[in-house]
Amino acid sequence: MNLGENIKLALASLKANKMRAVLTMLGIIIGISSVIMIATMGNIMENSVMDIFNSQGGSNLVGFQITMKRDAVRNYYMDTDLITEEMVESVNERFADDIDVVSMSGGSESASMRFHREDLDLMVYGVNPGYIRQSMTEVIAGRYISEKDLDKRGSVCVISDKQANKLYGSPREALGKTLSFNCMGTGYDLTVVGVYEYKLNGLMSAMVNMMGEDWNNEVYIPYTTLAKMEGINESSFFYFYININNGVNAEKFASSVRDYINNRWYRDNDSIEVWYQTGESQMSMMSEVMGIISTVISVIAGISLLVGGIGVMNIMLVSVTERTREIGVRKALGAPNGAIRSQFIIESVIICLIGGAIGIVLGILLGNIAGVIIGTMASPSAGSIVLAVTFSMAIGVFFGYYPANRAAKLDPIEALRYE
Amino acid sequence: MNPIISMNGIVKSFYIGTPNELEILHGLNIEVPEGQFVSIVGASGSGKSTLMNIIGALDRQTAGRYILDGIDMSKQDDSALSGIRNKKIGFVFQTFNLIARTSAMKNVELPMLYAGVRSKERTKRAKELLEMVEMSDRSSHMPNELSGGQKQRIAIARAMANDPAIILADEPTGALDSKTGRLVMDIFHKLHKEQGKTIVLITHNPELAEETDRIITLSDGNIVGDRVVSEEAAAE
Ligand SMILES: Nc1ncnc2c1ncn2[C@@H]1O[C@H](COP(=O)(O)OP(=O)(O)OP(=O)(O)O)[C@@H](O)[C@H]1O
Ligand SMILES: [Mg+2]
Repeated sequence: MNLGENIKLALASLKANKMRAVLTMLGIIIGISSVIMIATMGNIMENSVMDIFNSQGGSNLVGFQITMKRDAVRNYYMDTDLITEEMVESVNERFADDIDVVSMSGGSESASMRFHREDLDLMVYGVNPGYIRQSMTEVIAGRYISEKDLDKRGSVCVISDKQANKLYGSPREALGKTLSFNCMGTGYDLTVVGVYEYKLNGLMSAMVNMMGEDWNNEVYIPYTTLAKMEGINESSFFYFYININNGVNAEKFASSVRDYINNRWYRDNDSIEVWYQTGESQMSMMSEVMGIISTVISVIAGISLLVGGIGVMNIMLVSVTERTREIGVRKALGAPNGAIRSQFIIESVIICLIGGAIGIVLGILLGNIAGVIIGTMASPSAGSIVLAVTFSMAIGVFFGYYPANRAAKLDPIEALRYE
Repeated sequence: MNPIISMNGIVKSFYIGTPNELEILHGLNIEVPEGQFVSIVGASGSGKSTLMNIIGALDRQTAGRYILDGIDMSKQDDSALSGIRNKKIGFVFQTFNLIARTSAMKNVELPMLYAGVRSKERTKRAKELLEMVEMSDRSSHMPNELSGGQKQRIAIARAMANDPAIILADEPTGALDSKTGRLVMDIFHKLHKEQGKTIVLITHNPELAEETDRIITLSDGNIVGDRVVSEEAAAE
């Protein structure tokens, strides 16, 4: 008996029991759709994370931050524990051959400004020139904060393209204009020297966009200027980043910088030292977390596929019992056991395939709904779809075989006498 | 003429090897020549259906020799038996046994499907058969849209699909009123006369049995009567 006839037959019998078929498929639908959803979301996450990772220097990025010593005697930081400009400068000199860029942020303050009777919120970041490498931005007009600005505690700022458009009409127009805002109760006038825009696709830009179509409020100024606004003489830092030159071993570089800083400035500190993290280790942590999440969801998907498969087996056993007489008739008409077996296996495979197809569509849909929420679209890889289809077919064959075989082995006379 | 059915000392027992072993057929000898219309009669439980199952290759005898159209049936395995049922036997049941949710046409095609006949040929033959039983206008109907008599006519068309050597009908009129039963009997007569089919008919109706060439009477698993009715059969 040929495949086409078997498929038509299977569809007809499914149609006769639509509700039952759908309920049976539910497990498969849930299982497959979660697999596809994981694949879709995994792609979205991976793209975005890789995007950020690479824009910040990828495996050339090393971060340093203060942390508690293992034998710390206190569990809080004091001002004297922080990383100083002197330390960073000294590292910069000593390891000059290996270093591409150092980026530092002296923190941020919120500020506000009035514009056409509108109160606009700003977030003022104190940064060094190298910070642009970490901020995922790109200067599209003018320039970024310079060393000179830092030294002079210059009253300059770099604003976003959206701010420039809104306040001055265009990035070009913004250059040289004065940005007036209020921060911690005091008014400041800063000269706009540059305009930046976010240069990321994917997750980050989506997040930036979510904050407001026509406004993103980060304003960058020299960290020395921010310190002055805060009434601090010396800037100090919880962390700083170094982008190393190509070909430098990140791990080796980072540990020697750490040792250098710790030996020189933190040896006598009773509780605090400097700790480093390389881009690679950050990345592997990230992928570890993502791996755990997708393993958990895969296990859930696996369980629901198993439950779904058992459901299919159950319904196939019911179907075989219900159709015992039909099986007897078919055998009387000369159906070989193989034809009966394949008839029921095909039916079970079709249930699973339809369930799988619904699951795939649902999974892509759900994955992209999640994608829309975080602002980026993605499709699961063709591989995961092929896998899902193959998997649902395999479930159909695996869980359909036993009932089908039972049907095939029925004694024709017994089957014909079945009431 | 060669007998199409040749049975020798056919014994059928159930529950073999258990204390309540039950012998139902006690060594039957039957020869049916090709083209004969035989009826088997007997009280309920006398073993008619059991005998029919053996003739139709649905079941195997416990002992004895059964040759169907030259094939020694005791030597056939299960898959060979299904092939024999498919090509040599046409079953007609009391309860019609059409496949549900499957059109009259598809029902008639089914034995040809299992025989591997190609689609075009199947449809052509199925159309002819439906025409023969005067059911052409119902070919796309589902079984639940047909009356008992109509179902039985479809079933006869289906039994004829692979042009079998024998038609086996177990009380084919048992579920029909006498008028419809008459119609069904007429089809059997037509098949017998026009196509020379060998037909074995089980019936509880003595009048219908009298219409056939020969009446075999079973009682408690023994043949107690074997009578030739018509002169044309007697002439052989
Ligand atoms: N599979 C079986 N297992 C045990 N006993 C059986 C089986 N099949 C038939 N029998 C017994 O064999 C005997 C003959 O049954 P069979 O069905 O052949 O009678 P029948 O002549 O066709 O009767 P009816 O006219 O009522 O159809 C009965 O006593 C029945 O109980
Ligand atoms: Mg009977």
